[in-house]
Amino acid sequence: MEPDLWRQWQTFAAQFAPLEQGSAPSAEGPQGRHGAFGFAPFIDSAERFAAEARAFIGSSVNASASSLADGARKFSDFLRDQAAAAQPRWGAAFGIGNPNAANASAQWDLPALGATREYQQRAQRMAEAWRRMDDAQRRLQRLWSDALRDAAATFAAGLGTATPSAPSTEALNKLYDTWIGCAEDAYARTAHSEAFCGALADFANASSQWRGELQTTLEQWAKMLDLPTRSEINALTQRLRSLEERLPGASKPPASSKPPAASKKAKPKVAARGTRRAPRKAKA
Amino acid sequence: MTDAGFYASLAAARRVAAGCSEREAVWQSGKLTLFRYRPIARPAVGGVPLLIVYALVNRPYMMDLQEDRSLIRGLLAAGLDVYLIDWGYPDGADRFTTLADYIDDYLASCVERILRTHRLAALNILGVCQGGVFSLCYSALHPQRVRNLVTMVTPVDFHTPADLLSKWVRKIDVPAWVGEGNVSGDALNQLFLSLMPFRLTQQKYVHLLAGGLDSARIENFMRVEQWIFDSPDQAGAAFREFVVWLYQENRLVHNTLEIAGRKVDLRALRLPILNLIGKRDHLVRPEASAALKRLVGSEDYTALELDLGHIGMYISERAQREVPGAIAGWLAAR
Repeated sequence: MEPDLWRQWQTFAAQFAPLEQGSAPSAEGPQGRHGAFGFAPFIDSAERFAAEARAFIGSSVNASASSLADGARKFSDFLRDQAAAAQPRWGAAFGIGNPNAANASAQWDLPALGATREYQQRAQRMAEAWRRMDDAQRRLQRLWSDALRDAAATFAAGLGTATPSAPSTEALNKLYDTWIGCAEDAYARTAHSEAFCGALADFANASSQWRGELQTTLEQWAKMLDLPTRSEINALTQRLRSLEERLPGASKPPASSKPPAASKKAKPKVAARGTRRAPRKAKA
Repeated sequence: MTDAGFYASLAAARRVAAGCSEREAVWQSGKLTLFRYRPIARPAVGGVPLLIVYALVNRPYMMDLQEDRSLIRGLLAAGLDVYLIDWGYPDGADRFTTLADYIDDYLASCVERILRTHRLAALNILGVCQGGVFSLCYSALHPQRVRNLVTMVTPVDFHTPADLLSKWVRKIDVPAWVGEGNVSGDALNQLFLSLMPFRLTQQKYVHLLAGGLDSARIENFMRVEQWIFDSPDQAGAAFREFVVWLYQENRLVHNTLEIAGRKVDLRALRLPILNLIGKRDHLVRPEASAALKRLVGSEDYTALELDLGHIGMYISERAQREVPGAIAGWLAAR
């Protein structure tokens, strides 16, 4: 009798469901997912993978070549969609992908006039940076999608020539590892490409500009309210460092190769603040 | 083991602690702590202490994770007198800390402390990853202070073709990206995960689920997991210098690196060097480490390539068998 692979997987997944003392594990209900701490997404992912793999393997037994290829294509499409959902959200922190973002930037695209000219220009620069972030984000998403398509095609090609074996947990694990290998290989090819490196750099550079403009804006507001700003704290920190370096007694580790006399017993010591840093002519 | 047992193991593993060897803090300065490990074996002949210089980007307890996965324990068992620098967790007050501070001040001060304690003129240094770069720089600036240098998974040539991190950062305006603040450890974690996203964010957890109900295995996994995501923020100025000078400008290879106004000339390094390289290292590619050979002036240069990845070099079973013995044997011969 053929083992019920789906049942096996559910039993396996149920191991990670929350257990009241003495209660039976359950992978079926939503309660089962909530108590699994950070494993819930992986259980869900593994279950979906198992279900699709089961369907593929089941449909492939004694199937014609064309049916086998069709089944492999469906399975690889599923893998592509699933992995696409898990790809890094580069721009999530900045709201990139928001369809209103483009309209929001357009309304700032006006000549900067009058007493608020500086503010208008800063807002325009922020909007422009936002647009560049959005553009870079889209390019990255396309590259991710292309990589996943390549991965799925490679994976499907491998499936199409393989005779599905009797379903087992080991077979599923092997299939899953094969998919991960295909995905990593395809991603690596993309990630090394000029297009990906360029899009990533554009995103980073645009987000740096956007953040810098935002910081300037916030500092202006802080000054209006007579609140300390980061620039002022940084200036004080730099001044402290400079004073620390000029403190009498501050000395660099001896340059001589002759070792100083050792104490008889090593004792834990805490350096007095400001006695460690040596004066330097050239600051890096 | 029952399902409930597995769940209990998983829950218990949340509290596992990393670090196993006894040590004492022998010096502190700011956030830096210099540790000395208690010996567990008869001291090796010579008695020259070994200072481990770890990277800034993760915590050094990876070197001493647990009893059966501890490079430090292996070194202690070989009779070595081991010191380790813990850089601590930089905060906003450290944003202007530079590479010169780390190398020519903090590291230099630790070396002086140890030499004073032991009444020695020079010690041995083991530099790990970014700490290996620091060790190379320090050794070039203070050659009389270092007797033997061991570098481990240390990048030297940052422009090798397979170096994905280097390709990614080459066109980024790093000074603008860092600004005047520190760099978040979380941001760096995302970057490292992006190098192999499918394996590092999905497959390894599925393998954990599918790998059997062995509580020791789960605890091992959780210790490594804790280490991976225990990422200190990076002092902004030092980070900016490291990325621009090395990842972007590849100054070690071009012999243009200066620290504290002094040139770091690797060709002037004449001391014995042992370079440990991970053949499957995806963070520091083997060719990026192996480049050291053609850059240094030492005639006593040994490269040891092991079929291990970046983390495997510290904690794999093979590393436990081979790495401490290789280091101790090489040092004993010098």
